[in-house]
Parts: sequence; structure tokens; C-alpha cells
Amino acid sequence: MHEQEFHQLVNIEQGLVSPRIFIEPEIYEWELERIFARCWLYLAHESQIPEPGDYVAAFMGEDPMIVCRDPQGHIRAFLNSCTHRGMRVCREEAGHTKAFRCPYHGWTFDTAGKLIGVPRLNDGYFRQLEKEKWGLIEVAQLATYKGLIFASWDPEAPSLDDYLGDMKWYIDLMVDRLEGGSEVIGGVHKWVIPANWKFAADNFVGDMYHVPVSHGSGLALGLISERDISRGFQVSVGNGHGRGGADQWDVESWSDPASPHLKFLYENREEITHRLGQQRAQILLAGHGTIFPNFSFLDIPGFLTFRVWHPRGPERMEIWSWCVVEKKAPPEVKNMMRLAYLAQFGPGGVVEQDDGENWSQCTLAMRGRVRRRYMLNYQMGLGRQQVRPGIPGQTSPTIWSEIGQRGFYRRWLELMTAPRWSDVNTGGESNGRDESPV
Amino acid sequence: MDEMRAQFEAERFLYREAKLLDERRFEEWLDLLTDDVRYWMPVGNLEGAGAPDGQHLSYFEDNKQTLMLRIKRLGTGFAHAEDPPSRTRHLISNIVVEAFTEAELKVSANFIVFRGRLETEEDLFVGRREDVLRKVDGQWKLAARKILLDHNVIGAKNLSLFF
Repeated sequence: MHEQEFHQLVNIEQGLVSPRIFIEPEIYEWELERIFARCWLYLAHESQIPEPGDYVAAFMGEDPMIVCRDPQGHIRAFLNSCTHRGMRVCREEAGHTKAFRCPYHGWTFDTAGKLIGVPRLNDGYFRQLEKEKWGLIEVAQLATYKGLIFASWDPEAPSLDDYLGDMKWYIDLMVDRLEGGSEVIGGVHKWVIPANWKFAADNFVGDMYHVPVSHGSGLALGLISERDISRGFQVSVGNGHGRGGADQWDVESWSDPASPHLKFLYENREEITHRLGQQRAQILLAGHGTIFPNFSFLDIPGFLTFRVWHPRGPERMEIWSWCVVEKKAPPEVKNMMRLAYLAQFGPGGVVEQDDGENWSQCTLAMRGRVRRRYMLNYQMGLGRQQVRPGIPGQTSPTIWSEIGQRGFYRRWLELMTAPRWSDVNTGGESNGRDESPV
Repeated sequence: MDEMRAQFEAERFLYREAKLLDERRFEEWLDLLTDDVRYWMPVGNLEGAGAPDGQHLSYFEDNKQTLMLRIKRLGTGFAHAEDPPSRTRHLISNIVVEAFTEAELKVSANFIVFRGRLETEEDLFVGRREDVLRKVDGQWKLAARKILLDHNVIGAKNLSLFF
């Protein structure tokens, strides 16, 4: 496959995307290289590794990672693979340690990645092993944004600050509304859906359209308010990021599962306004969104969840999903957020159950040779973008728009066809990159 | 109540309950639960079950009302994950009565739940349940169920079934 062929798969101007990008192994291999080995990927939340020696497992694409705090307290991220034979040096999901000892031959690495122990150094390597060259393989760049840990394998990638760009305006809503920021509830929902990772990223980046149908049971049961999901707008934020949601919340949004959290935020509105300004205090919740490529969030009345869609082959994703709460919230509010999250989301959640059904059956229905010839329709709201005062990014007139997905796939195409980061526009939507009218 | 009787009562209850679930007689299943039932599947077999209440994720943390909601959902016409419905088979074994009185049985059991759906979808769930059965108006009812899955990453696209 030649990289120029990708232009036939994604046509943003006409709102067309080929099913091939959700199915074909060769395209998937290109993604692992050009997207997952280059972009800033979400690893973990700082609250998961507070002390030196704390570690937590993560993935970057299909590569298993160790994220830990070294003896100096710095956050580090390494491939979880011994430099000798490749064995996974850590097989726990989280914990505390001084060192990682490989169970195969015993090479031992400290939490700064340094090779500190090698059996048979004297009578096997005759002291000629250059130990300093064989430390754990470390990411090229690691940075945090308000408690969120990201890393990239590409030394040429723009800084995390530039990469997140205007998305920070929305991330602040989730993790910096109140003093102390956010923290993660213990435990991770992990499950597998037989569908390409982009189905989920695409769904979260800009798809409110599916909610009344996919999650019609949630509306029928009163868990989702039709009024709430119909307000607001979608935003193509730039650099492939997107979010959508209501532009204000009021007392009528206080349905039962949502009320403790919304009430808590309302009671603290003065502080939120002071920290984030009048406009964001009114928006209050970040809504649904994806930070390109595979880190998504849902910040809605009742709870906040972060999730990563790990690629596991062209037709498979592994979901890691967390429940996130305001650190400052009283225990009963945290508990209500936790219960609201797990009743609706995660593999057992009555809302999220139906997404997996749709994405897996999309995959089954598009696998055939003939279906792959016909493009998918991403035309909703095409050419209707508008700029709203004070709101970063290109916005849609109503919540019913696929502007977020078009921004996502435009960045996907740019990265898939760009040999280096310097060939990619990193200016974001605010830099005059509009969608062309139809 | 002697040990043999307790074992018999526990087995009879659990087998009948499994039959109701597999025949999708969910309303009748709901009648087998006490009004204050706690139906709980923690995340992470060990640390999840050991964490203080309210500080760890669960896959299920239901009471009778939320279980009723799950069953009601199936009739909304929008429960796509269960339309067409799953074919389930609950195999309950290794039933041990850990403690018993005339009014209460503490029972642990192993399970294998098979789920078939559509043409080729197949899932297998394996684990252990710790139940409390309580006698209400002369009938045994399920008052608490802790479900400990032996899976870590759930290999299925959802948990749209009951255990």
C-alpha cells in the first residue's frame, strides 16, 4: 500500500470515509506506526502512582508499558519488555517496588529503567556487558497535564501543550473545576469488543446522533434526558480532538442519578467561576469527547469517566475505563458518582451495553469485499460550521452534527500520509482550517 | 434443620433459580430475591472484594430496584444487546453450605455460564458465587449475592446477562 492511497479512503470535503479503515490489516499496521508510535497517548492518572516506587501497567498501541515514579519522584514510562529476550518484566497491573526482575534470566531494572542486575556477569559476560546501554526502553517524551500522564514515542512530536492545544480549555472543565483537581476511583473496567478502535473514538468525538436510538432504552427508563442531549453543539477542537455537549445546565437536569454530583457542582459554582471564568462555569461539564487518537471522556450529569480504546488488531479493541471524581467532593458524592457510572457504563452498564453490539455488528457487516467499495456517510452538518464567541474550535449549529468526526479523520489522514511530524499541520482549527462548504 | 436438609434446600433453590434465568423468566426470578437484596460483582477478584465499601469499581452493584430496571430495559424495544436475546446456560456446581440456621443459609458455589447469541457469538463466564439465602414467609429467597469472576479483562462485548 502506498501512502497516497489513503486519500481515497478519507474525503473530508465530501464527508466520506471508507469502511476499509475499520477492517483491513495492512491499514491497521500503518496506524500502529504512524499514529500510535507518534501521537501523545494517555497512560494513567497521577493519583494512581503518588509515591516513588509506585507503578501501574498501561499500553501504547499494542506495546505493554510500565508507568512508574522513580526514586527522585519523576514519572517515567518504559516498555514492559526485558532488553535481553523481551520477556515482560512486570506482570502485575499496579503495585509498589524497588526494581523489576525479569523472570526469564533475572536481568533486573530499577524504577528509573537502569539495568542494575545481571546474573553471570563475571563468568558469562566476563564483565564486558555494557550495562548502561541495556536499560529498559523509555518513551521519547513524557508530560503531564493537570494530573493526566501522556507519552509519545516520537522525539519530533510537538509538545504535549501544543498537541492538546485548545482541547485544554475543555479538559480543564473535567480536572480543574475545583481545588485539588480530580482523582481516580480504584479498579478499572477492562473488556474487549470485536471492532476496530476507531468506532469508539469516533463515537465519543462527536456522535450525539446515536444516543436516542442506540441508547433508546436509557431514554425510555428515564436515565437519559432527551432535553439534555438535544441542547448545545459539537466542536471540532483541532488536532483531531473533538467534544460535544450542552452549553448550560439548570435545575431541570437534576434527575435522580445526576443530582448529587450536579448539586455539588452548583454549590461550588463561585469557585468554578473564579477558576475557569463565567463562560466555562456555565458550560460546567465537558460532555462527550475524544483526545486524538484513543483517549475519550464522558463528563455528564452524575459522573465522569475516562477511557482508552486500545487497538488489538484491525477488528478488536480492549477498553480500559475509569471512574473519575473531584478530589474535593465529599465521600457520599464520590460514591454516588461511582454508582451512577457503573450502573450506566462499563460492560455491565445499561447504557454502554448496546454500543458494543452496534460496533461489532458494523464490523461483521462491512467485512465483505463488496461493502468495502462503498463509502460511509459523514455528511451531517457539513459546511455549516460556525465560530462562537469565546469558544475554541469550529462549532456546529446544533448538537446533531458530525463535525467532530470529520476533524478526527482529517487528522488521521494527515498523520497517515505524513512521513514526519513536521509535515503535519499543528495549528489546530483556530488557524483558519475550516471545512469547505459542500 | 440438619446438614443434609440444608444442602438439599440450597441445591434445590440454586438449580431452580438457574432454570428461571436460562428460560428468561426474569420477573419470576426477581420474586426469588428479598426486597433488600444486594447483588454485587466487584472488579478484581481479590482487591475489589476486599476494598472498603464505595471505594472500588464493580461490574454490578445492584439492589432490587436497579435489577428491576435492568429487566424493564429488556422490554423497551431498544435493548439492542439482548435483541435477539442471548441463549444462556447456567451450570452451578461445587455447592457448599458454609453455615445454616432455620432462617438463613450461607452458600458458596462455582458457576460456568455459557452465552450464545446470533449466529456465532459465544462467551463463557467462569467464577464463584457467595450467596445468602433467607427464609421469607416460608420461602427461601436470595438476600445477597457476591459474584467473583475469574476473568480479569472481560472477553465479552458486554455483561448483558444475570449471574
